[in-house]
Amino acid sequence: MMEREDEWMLAFQKGEEGALDRVYLLMKPSIYTFIYRYTRDEQLSIDIVQDTFEKLQNYKQDFDPQKGKLKSYLFQMAYRIMITKLNRRKKWRSLLPFLAPLEKEDYHHEDRMTIRDAITKLPDKHRAVILLFYYHDMSQEEIGEILNIPSGTVKSRLHHAIKRLKEELGVDYYESRSL
Amino acid sequence: MNQDPFEKDPLLKQKLDEYHVEVPDFPDKPSPWERFIRLLGSPAKDPLENMVTTTNGFLLLKVIPLTATIIIGLIQALLFL
Repeated sequence: MMEREDEWMLAFQKGEEGALDRVYLLMKPSIYTFIYRYTRDEQLSIDIVQDTFEKLQNYKQDFDPQKGKLKSYLFQMAYRIMITKLNRRKKWRSLLPFLAPLEKEDYHHEDRMTIRDAITKLPDKHRAVILLFYYHDMSQEEIGEILNIPSGTVKSRLHHAIKRLKEELGVDYYESRSL
Repeated sequence: MNQDPFEKDPLLKQKLDEYHVEVPDFPDKPSPWERFIRLLGSPAKDPLENMVTTTNGFLLLKVIPLTATIIIGLIQALLFL
């Protein structure tokens, strides 16, 4: 069955006015939350969502519903834009460290680590997998497509991410005590 | 996935569910001008911070321009007088 956003995308490809706005309204929250949970940078997340939709508009005929869902297509686009921007930012910061903007201290200084901090501390490749799997209900195959990795790698990264999160949050400790 | 890997970890699931993100209101079209202004206005590290925090560094910052001015002044005086 075709999702609503896919139907609106097809309408947009056919030139229906307002169809892209519908796609934007439906997909903006999930793409923004994915990017924000990954980067913890509100402005960067907004820029990436806008760039994703600009690209979608410019290359609207590139989307083929036979190849997959619009959701995966947009997430893949947003993920690639994000990685490019983050790499570019890293490069600039190493070249001109004194021009790097100050990092916002957004951590909660509590005795126990919060889930936000634990996710931020995960290695990049593990973070993307757990975010897509848990918060966006994506299958291994879809995640593999978005991150351009085999499904087996997705499974192993997910396993490691869960293990690491449990260690960071002390979940194992509390669970074993409650038994 | 054949099996939900979070099935055995209700506590981890509960923690993950606590992570809510508020989506701000923003238009779908980017504004290059706004981005440029934001880039200019974003706070950056002070490159002279290390110097200002020490007395010697602070003095150096005051002495260097003064010395340079005197030297340039002397050169000009020698050349044109």
